[in-house]
Amino acid sequence: MTEKEMTRLKLQATQCRLNVLRMLRASHHGHIGGAFSAMDIVTALYFYKMRLDPKRPDMENRDRFVLSAGHKCLCQYSALAERGYFPKEILDTYGSLDSKIPGHPDMHKLPGIEANTGALGHGLSIALGMALGQRLSRTGANVYVVMGDGELAEGSNWEAAAAAAHHKVENLVAFIDFNGLQISGRVQDVMDFTPIAGHFKAFGWNTMEINGNCMEEVVQALDSIPADASRPTAIVAHTIKAKGLSFGEGDVAYHFWNTTDELMDRAEQELQALAEQYRKAVEA
Amino acid sequence: MIGNKEDPRKVFGKAVSEIALGDDRIVILSADSGKSSGFGDFMKAAPERYFEFGIMEQAVVGVASGLATTGKIPVFCAIAPFVTARPYEMFRNDLGYMGQNVKIVGRNGGITYSDLGATHHSLDDFGIISMIPGVTILAPQDPNEIRSAVKAMLAHQGPVYMRIGNAAIPNLFEESPFVIGEGRQITSGEDVTILSTGTLTASVLKAAQRLEAAGIHADVIGLPTVWPLDEEKIVASARKTGKVVTVEEHYVHGGLGSFVATLLAERCPTPVCRLAIPHLYATSGPYDQILKKYGLDAEGIFQSVKQFLG
Ligand SMILES: Cc1ncc(C[n+]2csc(CCOP(=O)(O)OP(=O)(O)O)c2C)c(N)n1
Ligand SMILES: [Mg+2]
Repeated sequence: MTEKEMTRLKLQATQCRLNVLRMLRASHHGHIGGAFSAMDIVTALYFYKMRLDPKRPDMENRDRFVLSAGHKCLCQYSALAERGYFPKEILDTYGSLDSKIPGHPDMHKLPGIEANTGALGHGLSIALGMALGQRLSRTGANVYVVMGDGELAEGSNWEAAAAAAHHKVENLVAFIDFNGLQISGRVQDVMDFTPIAGHFKAFGWNTMEINGNCMEEVVQALDSIPADASRPTAIVAHTIKAKGLSFGEGDVAYHFWNTTDELMDRAEQELQALAEQYRKAVEA
Repeated sequence: MIGNKEDPRKVFGKAVSEIALGDDRIVILSADSGKSSGFGDFMKAAPERYFEFGIMEQAVVGVASGLATTGKIPVFCAIAPFVTARPYEMFRNDLGYMGQNVKIVGRNGGITYSDLGATHHSLDDFGIISMIPGVTILAPQDPNEIRSAVKAMLAHQGPVYMRIGNAAIPNLFEESPFVIGEGRQITSGEDVTILSTGTLTASVLKAAQRLEAAGIHADVIGLPTVWPLDEEKIVASARKTGKVVTVEEHYVHGGLGSFVATLLAERCPTPVCRLAIPHLYATSGPYDQILKKYGLDAEGIFQSVKQFLG
């Protein structure tokens, strides 16, 4: 990938973060923290890695994206809108009655959503089923899952982790958004799940650890997934919760943001400036 | 009488904490849910009796059962679907079948987590938990009733499921002793019985006032115990009015309306009109707008009752 292409990805991630703010303008509340920490990963998947066609969201051999931590849905909606799955005007309906973009993703409301998540700790099981099905149909499709670190405490995750390794499901890739925070505080104080990579490794997974807010590292990780590993891959992505919201980064209070127009103005200005910087570099 | 509004979760957490500070059998369990359940102060005041487990509700229900076998009284509060639908089998076997003295509290119940979508709505909890023999189901109607219901719940021996909401709710009644299984006669009338539970009672009372103004005298009975039913009160009222309306923030299928219809079919066949959420994955949006959409605001209830009476 050229430097310019890399910068374009960063621009897209910034535009996606701006899309999140656009949704919050409508509702003045939402789960921003986990959406922003995962935004670089989700951007790399939608704009770089996944085989998809926004005009044919039901394409049989498309790669699948499962948002296990469904409350991060703002990051998926923003990427889908940016990628052209639906008109951006829909973003302005966040929080309103009968919106197609509810507080957790609903596959019956929007193209590009693959599973109805929101009840945490269970996306990996659904994703495993998709991966097994794709393997059986020989479509060559991969399944990517984004999980939170707090939701790792749910047992269903580990049932799926065991089964995925047992069935040698190599077309399954799980990103763990290791932002270190959940609702009640630091994950290590609430229910310590470290070493996360060590756990997946012990279950028989191929594992990597990266900085999940560094686009270069995300892309490199995606490129280095072994093609014939006969095992699933877990990418433990060290991230900062609310990354990109300068005054909220790493602060548990921004798990769910009750916001004001003034605060959003500030956040928007900062992200606009960053986008401008990237835009110039891309156009240079 | 509609008074000041209070946050049901804070009222609940404070009520439990006050009793727990004087009764060291009571232990509080959290699945990344304790602070939002009003236990922020308790976890500091009695950290040895506050257990944080992170997001693992199924395990917590099992742990609660185990703790109860040692004489502790565990109280576990989290988002309603995650303490009912998700750990249903653990609830049935570990709490119901084992008969353990555990208090499970579903907060943000009904459709109060309105814009978070159907995974976060709890519209089947009365139905599924009522299928478990020996479990008491409470849905207090206002902050004062939450306070008194907490006392009754902790004094009661055996598994209890209590549902509370999320949005601030008005005080409707003076605080008075809560008797599990007993309905509350709120207004007396001969034209129609209205049975209500949970926080929708506030809207029912407004609807009843409008009905009164329109010359329709309603016999309004609040049922803060959803199960077991106050059969005698319900049957007596149905005999008096000959027409029964039920109102609840639950699926029309399998909740209070179903319990009442079944009871009356056996003991006093009476036309019943069930006002509730239709049996579908409810839409998302602001709480008051969703209630309105499904006809569960005061206006909707008023119109439905009028129509039912013909
Ligand atoms: C089964 C279940 N239990 C509880 C919740 C409530 N809940 C929503 S987000 C959250 C914390 C998630 O933390 P983490 O997985 O670290 O996600 P982050 O926001 O940090 O990305 C909790 C407990 C839920 N949605 N589902
Ligand atoms: Mg986290």
